[in-house]
Amino acid sequence: MKSKITSIVVAIILALIFSLPALAAESESITITMTGVSEISISLDKTQWPLGNVASNTEYMTSPPIEWCTLTVEGNRNVNIFIVGEDAEWLDNPSAYKWTLSTDGTNGENLYGLRFRISGDTSRGYVPITKTEGEFWPYNGGSSLAPGDSKQFGLKLLTPTYFVGGRQMQTQITISAVAA
Amino acid sequence: MVGHIKLAGLIVALLVILLPSFTLAQDAKFSVSPTEVKIDNLPLGESAEFELTIYNKDELVHVFTFTIFQPPEEERREGRAELPDDSWISFASPNIEVPAKSAANVTVTVAIPQEQKWTGEDWETWLGVAAESSDLLAIRLYVRLLVSTSAAMEAGVNAGLVVGIVVGIILLGYGGYYYFRRKTKPQRF
Repeated sequence: MKSKITSIVVAIILALIFSLPALAAESESITITMTGVSEISISLDKTQWPLGNVASNTEYMTSPPIEWCTLTVEGNRNVNIFIVGEDAEWLDNPSAYKWTLSTDGTNGENLYGLRFRISGDTSRGYVPITKTEGEFWPYNGGSSLAPGDSKQFGLKLLTPTYFVGGRQMQTQITISAVAA
Repeated sequence: MVGHIKLAGLIVALLVILLPSFTLAQDAKFSVSPTEVKIDNLPLGESAEFELTIYNKDELVHVFTFTIFQPPEEERREGRAELPDDSWISFASPNIEVPAKSAANVTVTVAIPQEQKWTGEDWETWLGVAAESSDLLAIRLYVRLLVSTSAAMEAGVNAGLVVGIVVGIILLGYGGYYYFRRKTKPQRF
């Protein structure tokens, strides 16, 4: 009788030895950490550049050239800023006709260039805006922008060497921010 | 004269209008909170939820859209890899309308498939929030999302549990068998 009870007890103990750590591990909780009251925000004092009619193979600059728009860091976190462009599409039928955004700020047939320049940034000068997010600020491992900081910049457009005229084209440049 | 007319026609043909809409409001002022979300020990096959808050600081109602962006390696936190699949992250709604001077929340769900190869991973992706606009310049704010899956222990958890239960059942069955066999044996008088 004793051996029966012993074998049952041993069986239970063995079962517990194997399963308890497993059960304990399963009860480990998912941790979601959200950075307290942090808030990210930037603002631009201009978002439109009404050019009107443009000619082919011509360069247009904002006025004033490199202090046209002011970007200001709001919120309460230091931020890194990026810039990205896109193809310009015919407003009436976006899928039918477009100007492709060049990868280096140059132009070609139905290929246009966009560049930006930050006031005070003497090392880079005008930087091409491409369809891949590029560094706006900081660059070359510099320091990020703190709340209250601002940067002035301007844009340069180089129209295609050839395009179909009389069509209203539209594009967008997105300036993005992420916590540093 | 004919030549002049032809030239004028050619010039008109070469003109185009690069004209953003004048009817839309200027830069939408908004902010997003939190700026970084860290999920640790996310078990494979399970999901985690959290909320992003969008504050519309403008005088006008705005529609905000959500995107997922894979940042380049140099922009990610140290030791973080690119999230392998954007579809593991979903927003409760693809966009949200936020009244002027108001805030709204959107629920974000992160669900990692139950595949052994995703154990013990540390990933980073960015969640983008932008106000719908056809202006030339637009703003997008990114929230860093850091996701870590449960370590290999998770795979061992189920194995340990199964082994423990199987051994227990075998031993209990063995003990019970002998117990009842002895009990039902005819008694000798």
